[in-house]
Amino acid sequence: MRSLQIRVITVVALLALGFTMDVRAKGDDFNSIVKMIEQFYGVKHEGLPFLAKAGMKVGRTAARVKGGTAKRLAEAGTIKLAVFEDQNFNGETLKFRSTLNAALNETWLPLVQTLSAPNEEQSYVFLRQSGDKYNVLVITIEQREATVVQVTLSPENLKRLLKDPEGTGKAITEEATIVDQE
Amino acid sequence: MKTLFQIKLGAWLIATLLLGCSTVAAQQVQTSRLELSSLDHLSAKASQTVDVNIDERLIRVAAGAFSDKDADEREIKKLIVGIKGIYVKSFEFETDGQFSTADIEGIRAQVRGPNWTRLVNVTSKKQGNLEVYLLMNGEQVAGLAVLSSEERELTVVNIVGPIDLEKLAKLEGQFGVPELGIEKTKDKKNDEN
Repeated sequence: MRSLQIRVITVVALLALGFTMDVRAKGDDFNSIVKMIEQFYGVKHEGLPFLAKAGMKVGRTAARVKGGTAKRLAEAGTIKLAVFEDQNFNGETLKFRSTLNAALNETWLPLVQTLSAPNEEQSYVFLRQSGDKYNVLVITIEQREATVVQVTLSPENLKRLLKDPEGTGKAITEEATIVDQE
Repeated sequence: MKTLFQIKLGAWLIATLLLGCSTVAAQQVQTSRLELSSLDHLSAKASQTVDVNIDERLIRVAAGAFSDKDADEREIKKLIVGIKGIYVKSFEFETDGQFSTADIEGIRAQVRGPNWTRLVNVTSKKQGNLEVYLLMNGEQVAGLAVLSSEERELTVVNIVGPIDLEKLAKLEGQFGVPELGIEKTKDKKNDEN
């Protein structure tokens, strides 16, 4: 009887451990990266609610973010977006790059990374498989603003990303952040 | 009649040999991957740095994503099938003399191995030096390296796996491979590196 109990406990513990590990492996890297940027540069991000308060046309933005408009790259309802506005992202681009790569190394594949010294612009595109779909994480940092976008790509747009990693990475950020003028 | 021990031992020996063979094969493929991190220090001086890493997993993803039904996609698929990786490092500088001969030599030293062959008569629409090296594994091309240097620009393209210049020219502008402007090449090779 005692042996059975031990076995049951062991199985439950293993299942729990397996679940925890699975969650960690596929965990929310998006939030971790947003926090990492906040800690590294001493900045604070703004989510969609802030954008609404700021008087932006959030209805349209949210529709777009939830996949409500045409021309989108991401699959419906898959966009995660964090925006940093009017804050300092000064220097240490090389140190930031290695910190970021170390943080995402295990679960994400670095596709393309660009650094532009004159305006201290950095852009990073990472890709990972999630079942039969693909998640893309695009991080863009400039002197005074930054965006982190995570989307799930349709197979059609995955091809586009692989053929033109830099251009499509930029387009994903633009699609996620642009607010249409009505 | 063989004992169970003998059968097990035989199976282990075969398994070990197979493992050994696959390891050797994997090492042969890996040799065409260049170590490019020696150039990373140039990022601090460069006005623009581009770093592309499309490894075997991503190539597999790409190959799986492109359909055999569509003619264009079939062409792209044909280009990338068998390739184990595409790696690009590119630096642009605002002034001359920001990278040294030693930086270039660090890459050249890696393609001086016995199986590497430097191709001659490779011309480029772009000005500057263009060096193309192939890694031969017997009669098969196992990898390619392109070193393009101008006064204010340095680009290294490393493709791991079976590739030729015709394929490379078709890959230009796609999969992170920059426009190198390779015009026309012949099969002439020069082993004197």
